[in-house]
Amino acid sequence: MNATAAIEVKNLLKTYKGSAIPAVNSISFTVEKGSIFGLLGPNGAGKTTTISILCGLSKASTGDVTLMGLSLKKQLNEIKQLIGVVPQEIALYPTLTAFENLRYIGNMYGLKGDNLRKKIKENLELVGLSEFAEKQIITFSGGMKRRINLVAGILHEPKILFLDEPTVGVDVQSRNLITEHLHLLNNAGCTIIYTSHLMEEAENLCTSIAIIDHGKIIATGEPKKLIQEHSKSTLEQLFLKLTGKKLRD
Amino acid sequence: MLRLYSTIQKEILILLRDRGGLIIMFIMPMAMITLMALIQDAPFRDYQEMRIPLLLVNNDNGNLGSTIDLGLNESKIFEITKLHLDQDIVKQKMKSGDYDIAIIIPEGASKILNSKVSNFVTKKLNEAGFSDTSSITKTDLTQELNLEILFSPETKKSFKASILSTLKQATSKIETQTLLELFNKELKQEDKSGKRKSEPMKDFVNFQEINTVETPAEALKLNSVQHNVPAWTIFGMFFIVISMSGSIIKERDDGSYTRILTMPGLYITVLAGKIAAYLLICLIQCVLMLMVGIYILPQFGLPQLVIGNSIPAISIVAITAGLAATGYGVFVGSIFKTHQQASTFGAISVVILAALGGIWVPVFVMPESLKIAVEFSPLYWGLSAFHKLFLNEGTVQSILPYAFKLLLFFIFTLSFAFLYTKNNRS
Repeated sequence: MNATAAIEVKNLLKTYKGSAIPAVNSISFTVEKGSIFGLLGPNGAGKTTTISILCGLSKASTGDVTLMGLSLKKQLNEIKQLIGVVPQEIALYPTLTAFENLRYIGNMYGLKGDNLRKKIKENLELVGLSEFAEKQIITFSGGMKRRINLVAGILHEPKILFLDEPTVGVDVQSRNLITEHLHLLNNAGCTIIYTSHLMEEAENLCTSIAIIDHGKIIATGEPKKLIQEHSKSTLEQLFLKLTGKKLRD
Repeated sequence: MLRLYSTIQKEILILLRDRGGLIIMFIMPMAMITLMALIQDAPFRDYQEMRIPLLLVNNDNGNLGSTIDLGLNESKIFEITKLHLDQDIVKQKMKSGDYDIAIIIPEGASKILNSKVSNFVTKKLNEAGFSDTSSITKTDLTQELNLEILFSPETKKSFKASILSTLKQATSKIETQTLLELFNKELKQEDKSGKRKSEPMKDFVNFQEINTVETPAEALKLNSVQHNVPAWTIFGMFFIVISMSGSIIKERDDGSYTRILTMPGLYITVLAGKIAAYLLICLIQCVLMLMVGIYILPQFGLPQLVIGNSIPAISIVAITAGLAATGYGVFVGSIFKTHQQASTFGAISVVILAALGGIWVPVFVMPESLKIAVEFSPLYWGLSAFHKLFLNEGTVQSILPYAFKLLLFFIFTLSFAFLYTKNNRS
């Protein structure tokens, strides 16, 4: 077991019922503690399946996964306490206020009382939403929803944070605030697993990446090194070189 | 416990802020109960207490006319209007819808009946060897006695049968009495003062109506209120399937379900919180709807709902029916992918189960073939349990079989939903 690894994935394979082709085909990778790891790939490449397995939402057909040294198969409940998930959807209750949503999510992680109230207040301040604490989510703009969605995933101070397209559909200001916040979290020791189609954002944010296609990892390493190795000038060019220009949808 | 409590709190807050949902859950069932009880009041009275309007044209001055009049009155089935009219006018009045049933007793009907009976007695006495039958008045045998009964085409068969039965009873009484009087006369059973020992004939058999429960009989009749309030209460509780399945599908669509699955603890705790919140709504619905039966419906001239004496038994029925409804909500929310599919299926299936369960019309008026299917409707179990309590003063023990079935339905639907979801996730 690698003591510096936040996540270790070995020979992970997942085949869905009724499908002959595996969605994830014997992939292995390691995410170091304190890194921002980008899992990149075209649509249908196997990103969501991999993240779903790592979060405990789906079961692997074969393979081993450990998170912070804990076995995903045997210690799922302990792992759930250590991870945070920010889904692509605004997974909040629109008719509840920001405070009510965060109180519910905090309670689900066992947080309560003054400690929870303090955490909610601090996090809302960090994402610039403190004055909207008592407003219903339904009244929020797209950017505000994305920011509160992020807070919901980090309220319990997870060791590993999974982010699925956290800045999709938001304005430049909100995107900037979110990425700044992610850097802050990372600096505080949180390992971040990030998926996105925004290659420029991934290039700037991630300390390491893995490019996945057809269920297999086709490249992994530091973004800058990978770009240099393939004689490209941007991550987007590298991505297109490795995955091709053919439409996937 | 924190997860459970927090989920209940969250669900209740969401429900309270959904005004449309609140109207569907509370206002509509209460309005439904009031309307249905009012609409079905007349049909229920048909069965129970409504009097049939009847026009009696009694042109006879004798005992036949008066006995028929008395018999119709004593039957307490008819609302009698007495007029002296020609047959043509009576027909006109019936055509114009003033009356559905009319009886015309012709002039001299008693005299004709007496004569016919006299002739019959004379014949029989002669055959028996009594040669002197001079005391019996001989009359014209060719004269016919026809009582005319006019029915409008809409008259129910049961009403016709009631009329004919009452008339036959009255004429038969007169015939028997006349026969006895004539036999007495012929056998010279007269007292010394010359007065006949003529006693009116009494009924040899008395019919006594006994209610099987001790509550005043009037209160325990299956009237519109006693049927509709528990029936639509159960229906309203089951209609929660639309809100509940919608909530499950919405959570699945907006990613909240996924987020919950990534949180520590078992999902069943979250589901239990959701079920508890919706069960609470069902119980509030139940209390409100019973209160409509007790306090509101009498304001519209309807009878007051009688709920029996066992509050613990009512609570058991309400809780198990609520659980069955929420279990069904989870089931529908789990197997359907979109809110439209779930709400359409949920609404239609509840209406079908309601129809089968005797919510629309009581089970006893259903065709025999349907009565088998009735046994499979959870709404029937709930309604039957309420009827046991409200009409038969049932106890906790008497409703346990129904409560058990409702609980089994809850377990079955929940288990199916759980397995289906688990299977689809893996």
